[in-house]
Amino acid sequence: MIDFVNVSKTYPNGTHALYDVSLHIDRGEFVFIVGASGAGKSTFLKLIMHEETPTSGEIVINDNKISTLKRRQIPYLRRHMGIVFQDFRLIEKMNVFDNVAFAMRAVGESTSVIKKRVPYVLDLVGLKNKMKNKPSELSGGEQQRVSLARALVNNPEIIIADEPTGNVDPEMSHEIIELLNEINAKGTTVLVVTHEHELVREFNQRVITINRGRIIGDTGNSEIGDIDVSEYYDDIPQYPENAVVIPD
Amino acid sequence: MKGFGYLVKEGFKNVWSNRIMSIASVCVLISCLVLTGAASLFSINVRAAVETVGQSNETTVYIKDGYSQLEAVYIGKDIEKISNVTSAEFYSKDEAIKQYKEELGDDVFAQMQNDDNPLPDAFIVVMDDLSLYDETVAQIQKIDGVDKISNRSEIAKKLTDISNLVNLISFWVIIALMIISLFIIANTIRATMYSRRFEISIMKSVGATNSFVRMPFLVEGVVIGFIAAIISTGGIVLLYEGLMAAMQQFQFMEYFAIPIQSVILYIAGAFVVAGVLIGFFGSMISIRKYLKMEGNEILGW
Repeated sequence: MIDFVNVSKTYPNGTHALYDVSLHIDRGEFVFIVGASGAGKSTFLKLIMHEETPTSGEIVINDNKISTLKRRQIPYLRRHMGIVFQDFRLIEKMNVFDNVAFAMRAVGESTSVIKKRVPYVLDLVGLKNKMKNKPSELSGGEQQRVSLARALVNNPEIIIADEPTGNVDPEMSHEIIELLNEINAKGTTVLVVTHEHELVREFNQRVITINRGRIIGDTGNSEIGDIDVSEYYDDIPQYPENAVVIPD
Repeated sequence: MKGFGYLVKEGFKNVWSNRIMSIASVCVLISCLVLTGAASLFSINVRAAVETVGQSNETTVYIKDGYSQLEAVYIGKDIEKISNVTSAEFYSKDEAIKQYKEELGDDVFAQMQNDDNPLPDAFIVVMDDLSLYDETVAQIQKIDGVDKISNRSEIAKKLTDISNLVNLISFWVIIALMIISLFIIANTIRATMYSRRFEISIMKSVGATNSFVRMPFLVEGVVIGFIAAIISTGGIVLLYEGLMAAMQQFQFMEYFAIPIQSVILYIAGAFVVAGVLIGFFGSMISIRKYLKMEGNEILGW
């Protein structure tokens, strides 16, 4: 489904965001991506979404080499993905229904399909009774569920959630991840970037740990193996250079 | 394109939600179009006047001061003897001053009576073949007592010169205004895009194509251009008719001026095409930058 082959990314300002990253994520997997701020998690997601291109190496999604994609083909790649943002990114002037419908309209879906699909997805995230509400009338958890509904509505193969619990209370965080778990159970691949190690532990899914642009732990890859990832979360500073635990 | 109706609706919404900038753009575009239209109408009128003057088969031959009316009659007979002259009708200075009084009012010419009349006697000469105009004028000039001859071709040339000068000035003014309009519209669209950058980033993240993202903003530019074109057409009609009404006292204007109805469809068509094109390209300039951006870059983060 998603393959990174020796991928490195250096930004024009000289920042080395990822070094020689190789990994494979299967269709239908649920993967937590963890690491301290600035570790390279966002770059990892941006490369998958083709918001950035790798400096070297190859990324393959659904058997398509990203490097061979033409500019006009990128939107069609993104239609396979649903993105959930930490700050929800809901449009305040639109109600819940329109916020979710917006994602369908943006890919040119017809009104009749939108009218059927949006209530269905909102029901799935438990917000069918709040379709007419504006985002400001919802709690943080509810707003994130709207964001999740918007990510789901075009029936993507991959859900990419960038710190989806960053702006919601702990109880809601649990619900959000639970919801993602349910979505994953129906066959959708889910990638979740998070700082919250309690949640990661609780859900017992594959965990990829990134530090200083390198994958230093991967529970789904026996060659790399598991590590005590708790040191790489939250506000803990960058892992010291001399403590890299990547096996030879 | 799927969802075309939705995109057009969004374009109209943009115009309204960004109405202050939209009005500013419409106003600048109107001033540009009205000036263009006014310059074109002036040019059309001058061309019509040149044609009228050029085709006019009447030449005024003035008699030197000091010649009596009887002497003038003989001069007239000499003129009539010229083969290309069909007729030479005497037009006395008394008749001339009378006509001026009728056109411009008694007061100005109250003191210009009889011997104080500064105007010369004249003959209105009609020629048979205008292609022999210059030779015939030269022959008339040789007759004793003939002072000067009003040369219609010179008037036509002067009018054409004025027209060319106006065209030249208009051309550069219009070019400058077009660039300003383009710039203002580009800024209006940029302001809309900025206020909708959130939506643009979401659209791109869910896989909207560039043409889909672009469409509402192009519609916005085109709508602004179209509104400006319609108002400009109404404006130019009112302006022209107002000007004609104000100039009614000068009868020659009525004689030359072309009726606005005969050209208004062409002007309206040109306005719509120009307005829509400026709107379209103004939008394109702004959109290009946003379409190249990705993710948080669009939001300026």
